[in-house]
Amino acid sequence: MREESRRASVPEELQKAHAAGEDATNVAAKTTGVPAADVFGVDTFFNLLGESEKKLRVCTGLSCRLAGSEKILAQAQAAGLGATESSCLAACDRAPAVLKERRTLVEITAADIKRSGGDWKELDSKEVPQHLRWSGHVWPAESKPKTCAINLAGKPNWSGAASTLATEMGDEAVLAAIDEAGLQGRGGAGFPAAFKWRSVRGQAETKRYVVLNADEAEPGTFKDREVMMKRPDLVLEGLAIAARIVRATEIYMYIRGEFEIPQQVMADAIERTQSAGLYSELHFHIHSGHGAYICGEETALLESLEGKRGQPREKPPFPTEVGLWGKPTLIQNVETIACVPSILTRGGEWFKALGKTQPGSKLYCISGHVANPGVYEMPLGICLDDLVQAAGGYIGKLKAFSPGGASSGFLPASERKRPLDFKALAEIGSMLGSAGVVVLNESVDMAWAAQEQLLFFERESCGQCSPCRIGTAYQRHLLDGYISKRGQDGAKDSLSKLSMVSKEMIEGSICGLGQTASLPLTSAIQYFPGEFA
Amino acid sequence: MPFGDGETILDVTRRAGRQVPTLCHDDRLKPAGACRTCLVQIEGARRLAPACSTKAGDGMQVTTANERIDEHRQNLLALYLVDHHQGHDDCEDGAPCELHAMAAAYGAPTDWEPLPLARAERPNDDNPYIEFRADRCIACARCTRYCDEVEGVSAITMAKRGIETTVSTADALGLFDTTCELCGGCVAVCPTGAMAEKMPLVAKAPPERKLHKVRTTCNYCGVGCQMDINVDGYGNNGKGQVAKITSPPPGTLPSDGNLCVKGRFAYDFIDHPDRLKVPLVRNAQGELKEATWEEALAAAAKGLRAVEAEHGKDALAFVSSSRCTVEENYLVQKLARVAFGTNNVHQCAAT
Ligand SMILES: Cc1cc2nc3c(=O)[nH]c(=O)nc-3n(C[C@H](O)[C@H](O)[C@H](O)COP(=O)(O)O)c2cc1C
Ligand code: SF4
Repeated sequence: MREESRRASVPEELQKAHAAGEDATNVAAKTTGVPAADVFGVDTFFNLLGESEKKLRVCTGLSCRLAGSEKILAQAQAAGLGATESSCLAACDRAPAVLKERRTLVEITAADIKRSGGDWKELDSKEVPQHLRWSGHVWPAESKPKTCAINLAGKPNWSGAASTLATEMGDEAVLAAIDEAGLQGRGGAGFPAAFKWRSVRGQAETKRYVVLNADEAEPGTFKDREVMMKRPDLVLEGLAIAARIVRATEIYMYIRGEFEIPQQVMADAIERTQSAGLYSELHFHIHSGHGAYICGEETALLESLEGKRGQPREKPPFPTEVGLWGKPTLIQNVETIACVPSILTRGGEWFKALGKTQPGSKLYCISGHVANPGVYEMPLGICLDDLVQAAGGYIGKLKAFSPGGASSGFLPASERKRPLDFKALAEIGSMLGSAGVVVLNESVDMAWAAQEQLLFFERESCGQCSPCRIGTAYQRHLLDGYISKRGQDGAKDSLSKLSMVSKEMIEGSICGLGQTASLPLTSAIQYFPGEFA
Repeated sequence: MPFGDGETILDVTRRAGRQVPTLCHDDRLKPAGACRTCLVQIEGARRLAPACSTKAGDGMQVTTANERIDEHRQNLLALYLVDHHQGHDDCEDGAPCELHAMAAAYGAPTDWEPLPLARAERPNDDNPYIEFRADRCIACARCTRYCDEVEGVSAITMAKRGIETTVSTADALGLFDTTCELCGGCVAVCPTGAMAEKMPLVAKAPPERKLHKVRTTCNYCGVGCQMDINVDGYGNNGKGQVAKITSPPPGTLPSDGNLCVKGRFAYDFIDHPDRLKVPLVRNAQGELKEATWEEALAAAAKGLRAVEAEHGKDALAFVSSSRCTVEENYLVQKLARVAFGTNNVHQCAAT
């Protein structure tokens, strides 16, 4: 275990050494005993490590782009701020966002850039100064514990009542309640939670782990950020209950590196519960990510937790059998785990009835061309129009939307009444995914929108398997070719290889990144053929 | 097909004589499942599965070729080719390219417009033996896994990510400045000649498939690895020339495809202009002059006897080279003990 934990600390040691301006590779190799080449492999995998000399990163997520982040980047560069691009920073509701070292600054304006005087250290948002623990707009704005399983506007409850209740109920009754609730994973795949808990519980190996997936980096998604900011009590309580059921004592919370503030909130929450004597037999560990979307994929996350390059593993075996350091591991998304306390206190039946087409209330992230972007807790299965009505209406005329992050592709306005749930979206080749809904109005060019998403996947591919490594770059190359010839005869020929490329990405890729990365372009072409003529 | 404990689909299909292509696989390494060429169809499974890393199971029905798999292989190989050095012949300078051979075997389209090169090279590596040619690399990680798992050296690593994924060293240093032992195993396992040998490249040697292989025993040390001398019959103005040394394939001999820096790379003495071909003896002015063997041996004997006469028998010691055979070593100790009467005899590989 000592060697394992030394290895696991490679990214952290690199971060420290970079911050101290040291010869990071060799310093981290020496302190961890890991070969210098392997340390360098890790360093260059993670943007926030290998490119730590870059202090400012402007978000390129679709919602930030719509809010003019491209201009902000150009202005920042012109002002000598040495800014570079970043993948989505999970601040789509407060666009445009800029990452300053590891702190996300939101609603950055041209005036803010000017005020910095060309010194990156001085950049700050006048609207939301960085010393604030800013958070986002949530709906409902008042506490609604009866209709919202998470209830973001509710006051944190530090009593540990649900966890005490769970102990009184006994393991089987807890599992039965989760089953009855029909709780599905909210990290993207919609997999039944109780099934995973039972699977880990049933393993012969007695050393088990619980891992919280708080890597939230799917473009358009920022709900886990809000859960951690506003209801850290539910996250810890849900983890504690899960850990007891699967008989684990070590809990790892993998929080993306750009979430400096939520990391702090969670660290404070751990401190608070532990000093109050709650969950005292459990050990909570916070592991910071270092700038890699792929580490949200559960097996890449495990590799990264072990201190390696974040390359997904082949499944099966699933993490419930062979997970962290080869031990059975329960991995659950922040939102999924935060649903657990209210399921126990109010009952599985209650949770199930909260949904419209599928069980539960659901956190929808909405951004783009809507009046009030934010996180909306609504019945699972509401449609886009319902959601946008709550969000103050569309800005301009609806043209297209992305229902569940970049990976879900685009849908046309005609799907505005379709239930936003796991099943109804899968039926048309899309998905609810992380419920990161991005709304695009008639001003948006779909080829441009697709290009932005393709660039994201190209940048974030781990590079391990060739269909995705080459496919993400090649499909973008084909689209660039098309865009450069647009309007000319034969422009469409540039895309003639696309169907073969996307087919192979779906067929051959190891993980969900490569398997979905062509969807933004293929769906844009499918639904908006006129824009790819 | 019956199968043993732990056997993979690849093991079983090979035993059954079925062709399943692989690029990242090497029997000496843990399966990576990353190159995706070995995907096969398992009855009842939605997704294709890598034969190299999927364990065979009871009653499992596996299809290794059908329309779906063929299409997958063709599209996959076409993608590989857009991110690879163009043209078969050019590509094969230095080493055979398994990718080009596979693309031809499976009828992959070769006319897709190539991508610009995104992998970083390490141009300032001045080690004399190994060169990394990024344009041929397919990021299969055979070399880095070999360096790690077989040699236990970990001098090279996969670095960066996405289309920029490349093979590098700690801080992209030259191999001399790393833990590298220059065994050249990375060159031997590379399927595309991306890890290449500098000497044949500099000498513009013909591609390996045009060389004539002569099996011999390495005489650098007592281990006795088998090696293949690759001879270019037309080289050196038609006199013939050793173009490179390769190891017999892994799994066929005890050395299992491995060689060390001396065995693999130290062959340039063969045609080196400085190589001694006749004995040299110093004349009265101390200059080295060509001599016959009789003259040279007489001079050596005279010198040895002179030491013996002045300082005694044990003032002499004999050390034989690790390149000597057992018979030669026998003769050296005979010479020491019988001709010069001393037991001071040693062999440099005896440490
Ligand atoms: C490319 C990719 C990125 C992902 N990113 C996240 C993420 O940021 N957060 C998350 O919870 N799940 C993410 N997932 C899904 C996880 O692999 C996994 O299914 C999830 O953490 C399981 O938890 P759940 O069942 O509670 O949803 C991602 C999956 C893929 C393929
Ligand atoms: S699909 Fe992409 S991200 Fe996933 S393992 Fe393959 S290269 Fe990595």
